[in-house]
Amino acid sequence: MLLSAYRWVNLVQLDMPEVFKAENVKAESEEIKKLLSGGFSGRSFGSCVPRPHKFRFEAQQDDETVLLLGRRHLVTNLRWITMLCFAFVIPFVWGEFPFLKALDGNTLVSVTMLWYMGLIFYGMQSFLMWFYNVYIITNERLVDVDFVGLLSKTVNVAQISRVEDVNYTQKGILASFFNYGDVIMQTASEQRTPDTVGEMSAFTFESVAFPDKVAGVISQLTEEAEKPWK
Amino acid sequence: MEIIPGVTINLSMIVSFMVKISMILFLILSIIMVRQESLMDKVVNLPIGKSLKILTWGYFLFSFFVTVIILLA
Repeated sequence: MLLSAYRWVNLVQLDMPEVFKAENVKAESEEIKKLLSGGFSGRSFGSCVPRPHKFRFEAQQDDETVLLLGRRHLVTNLRWITMLCFAFVIPFVWGEFPFLKALDGNTLVSVTMLWYMGLIFYGMQSFLMWFYNVYIITNERLVDVDFVGLLSKTVNVAQISRVEDVNYTQKGILASFFNYGDVIMQTASEQRTPDTVGEMSAFTFESVAFPDKVAGVISQLTEEAEKPWK
Repeated sequence: MEIIPGVTINLSMIVSFMVKISMILFLILSIIMVRQESLMDKVVNLPIGKSLKILTWGYFLFSFFVTVIILLA
């Protein structure tokens, strides 16, 4: 890092042409700018955030720019939110269960507290899993971060230049209505990881918002990576 | 049911014991969640990560407080 900073200072002092300064940094092309400018949401909780503000990930290189940060579509959380809502009202009808009717007052209060503690835990856990299971598209790499449960994580990284094929699928009414789907990328070295059970590839971005645009961005980056002097 | 002389075991006692064990389990899980959130934040450093850390610590303290009350009750 010190060496690169020193080199940069030297280049600025010598007023070298721009091409020598940007040794490894690829400038964002007009096509990429156009693809990222429209349609995506820019919020922190958004399912597809272009150029996220104040965002860094582990092993991010200094000259690497995050172009797109995504996660599962917000609608995919409906299942656990609905379950939580139902579970929340169950203690109100506990008098109907003969087993619980037989308990004394103090024990019933303890059971109710345990129930709500469990619900809060489940809700927080589901939210964290959704929030931190992200996919990151940078100008150089694709990063797929998968946390499974409390104690395991899998981080898949692939160079853009190694992506061979990109396609996406949308299945179901919700996916069509809310415009989300799976983006599947085939890389040159197709290695299976524990998180890929049931997935088409190690690089499957599941239930991502705007799959067409995400696939478009990756295709464009792959195309540009194949033409380094462009 | 009088298994130990002078001590009558009833349904409430058994359930109460199970609830206490479950509370301790949730307390352990909540501290694991705090640690996991911290690791997640390290891998994916988002601006909102600090708030989530406070939230998970809040849940841990809440569950600690509730567990202590239930155990002492």
